[in-house]
Amino acid sequence: MLFKDKVAIVTGGSRGIGRSLVLMLAEEGADVAFTYAKSVQEAEALSAQVKQSGRRALALQMDAADFDKAKELIEEVKAGLGRLDLLVNNAGIIKDKALMMMTKEDWLSVIDTNLNGTFNVTRNAIVTFLKQKSGAIVNITSVSGVAGMSRQTNYAASKAGIIGFTKSLAREVAPYNIRVNAVAPGFIETDMLAGLKEEFKEELKKRIPLSRLGRVEDVAGAVKFLLSDAAGFITGQTIIVDGGLFIQ
Amino acid sequence: MPDLENEIRNMIAEIVEKDPSEVTPDAKFFEELGMDSMMALEIMAGMEKKYKITIPEEKLTKLTTLRETVAVAKEYLEKTNA
Repeated sequence: MLFKDKVAIVTGGSRGIGRSLVLMLAEEGADVAFTYAKSVQEAEALSAQVKQSGRRALALQMDAADFDKAKELIEEVKAGLGRLDLLVNNAGIIKDKALMMMTKEDWLSVIDTNLNGTFNVTRNAIVTFLKQKSGAIVNITSVSGVAGMSRQTNYAASKAGIIGFTKSLAREVAPYNIRVNAVAPGFIETDMLAGLKEEFKEELKKRIPLSRLGRVEDVAGAVKFLLSDAAGFITGQTIIVDGGLFIQ
Repeated sequence: MPDLENEIRNMIAEIVEKDPSEVTPDAKFFEELGMDSMMALEIMAGMEKKYKITIPEEKLTKLTTLRETVAVAKEYLEKTNA
């Protein structure tokens, strides 16, 4: 087990990629705290699943955009689970629109949850990591933030921002034995893709060198590696998990 | 508590790599002793470990001189012993 008796936080953990991250961490021996915005039933079911695997789970309803809530989150995790070793900033939303149709609210809400949310949780966790002189952080970004995607100016800006944040923080906290990396998923089969038409998905599969859409487990695999000691000499990097679609 | 002041002075001197005599009660950490924010955190963490106290993160900005730092340590030592 890679993370035996460690304590991890996953934001946006109740569904999609976040859910697979929670299960992966529990499988690898970690106690897991996760946040969720609205999906109460999914969160309860996931907590139960983690507990069944013999690990502790802590589910907290919070809006990633709320700085004070993020502070409470870190305090509750340290009080409830006793420590903090691993952080995955995964909470994210989309509001895809052509820029000419995008409202200020569409723009701000995506930046607030995705980019400011990453700041909020990391800012509140970083002193704990600095004091213990250890920790690993993985931020979930997107190929949209690397390659750009039409109708996603808000989302792409937030995700590119996360990559800059990751690189800068990696340099800043490296002397304290804290590693900070990012994972950029491509097209992964989650609710976020639910809006895509079947024909578009088929067309997409033809363009993806590995000829399929991604699975949440594909993303969890990259995150697992980056959080583990196997990646002990890797910091400030972004691993793209997209089946080869955006090979640079 | 002269001992406390001396102990903390020595800890600070070690972190900023200066002679303890330079760490006077009102010498400014950042401007005069060349401290950075990470060093301030090390001082806080060092005091927490040595005196088995917990100092809230917000107090970091208070750690600007030896006098202020000793005051913070005293405050939380008293809270712990109370």
